[in-house]
Amino acid sequence: MAADVNGLDKVWQELVRLCNEQFESQPFKRLLGMKFTKPRAQQYSIQMAYYVQNRRDCWGYVQGSAPLPVKQIIWRHEEDELIGQKAQGKVDHITLAVKEGEVFGLSADAFEKTARLEGGEVCFSAWIRLSQKSWLEAIAASAILEMRNSAELIRGGSLSHRIGMIFERDLGIPMKKQINNAEHVVMDVEHAHLLMQVAKAYATTASAQEAILSGARESLMIDRVYRGHLAELMESLD
Amino acid sequence: MNLVKDLCAELDRMVNDQFDSIEFKAFLGVPLTLERGRFYVIQNALYTSNRRDCWGYVQGGAPLEVKRVVWEHESDELINDPRVGMDHYNLTVKQGEVIGLKREDFDNAQVPAMAQACFHAWHHIAMRGHWLTSYAASHMLERRNNGKIVKGGGMSFRVGKKFENELGINLKRMISLDVHVVADTEHSENISEMFEKYVKTPQDCERVLEGARESMAIDRAYRGALGFYMERIN
Repeated sequence: MAADVNGLDKVWQELVRLCNEQFESQPFKRLLGMKFTKPRAQQYSIQMAYYVQNRRDCWGYVQGSAPLPVKQIIWRHEEDELIGQKAQGKVDHITLAVKEGEVFGLSADAFEKTARLEGGEVCFSAWIRLSQKSWLEAIAASAILEMRNSAELIRGGSLSHRIGMIFERDLGIPMKKQINNAEHVVMDVEHAHLLMQVAKAYATTASAQEAILSGARESLMIDRVYRGHLAELMESLD
Repeated sequence: MNLVKDLCAELDRMVNDQFDSIEFKAFLGVPLTLERGRFYVIQNALYTSNRRDCWGYVQGGAPLEVKRVVWEHESDELINDPRVGMDHYNLTVKQGEVIGLKREDFDNAQVPAMAQACFHAWHHIAMRGHWLTSYAASHMLERRNNGKIVKGGGMSFRVGKKFENELGINLKRMISLDVHVVADTEHSENISEMFEKYVKTPQDCERVLEGARESMAIDRAYRGALGFYMERIN
């Protein structure tokens, strides 16, 4: 953002700082520091499909509480995620996650039959609860996870990019074959700007800006807990 | 016994019964004046906004396949209905021009107290209920507007006819009401198909019926409230 409009530039800088700080946290370092064996990659891939489903839950609730013009923005955002871009031959992101699983030797059945990680389930409930709070907190809580995945904003690469590089390093699977990761590396750069697009129109007061920061902070906290649970699960697999 | 067939028959009975309720009779019995018509059209736009809130919440709570159906449903409502080339909120605003309303009349409109309470009640079911309950609660308002199910015509048709008969404005000129006569028939049929897939047990049935009963009760309260306010406009 070039100019500071009603203090929004400071909000933006703080959001970007918080996203970068995620990668310095112990749970993120633990997850990103481990070696990904095939069973670990399989489990990661399955649990991430559940994570993506939870995102759809949360964005639905955010759409419900947001003002009409913002509902329209979210509806379009959900087209990529939930439906895909049929005209461009792009499938929805859940199908994409399942399809990507094939390179790790997973069948669609494995995605349906593998249980959700218990700690993950608790985090999903926490995110849903957050998505039902005031709409500015709720939208920040969901959008910040896409900012945290934006290569444009994160020094050293977004989460999808870093995981993709680990798959390449440890399992020899090139990024271009990781169709879900590759898609998110691109899409979340675009999606990361959604929050500021909305904030410019609606977060013109200090209390509205604080609501955005509060939602973002709480969501990133859940994100850290979630990544910690993922790391623990994966460490238990040899 | 066919669980879903019996369930749908019960839902059909419930939407027909709405029109025999004292609240619906009171609302539909209020003679329309131009001012009352304006009040109704503005309030209907706010009702439409509340529907968008609730369908968003329903989308949030539903299984993936149902989310996709709701998302498609919201395409007409929120983005663009190809039948009219605009979303349904703008359609309502455009309809207002026929009776002398401007966009700012809609933008500055207030929700009266009794209507506000109903909107909160619908939010509550949509956000807090089991997804089948939330889904049924929102679906029933379109089923109640489905002229193939409601004998004598759905709500939009009947209100449209009142504009025609009492204010001399042809239903075709009341573009939002006219579109909803058709759109809600399609919407309620598409949405209803999901019951076939997800209602498998008596408990599922009860969840749907709970949402249907509660939403219809709120709907009666809402229509009663509109009638109350309209009667007080000279």
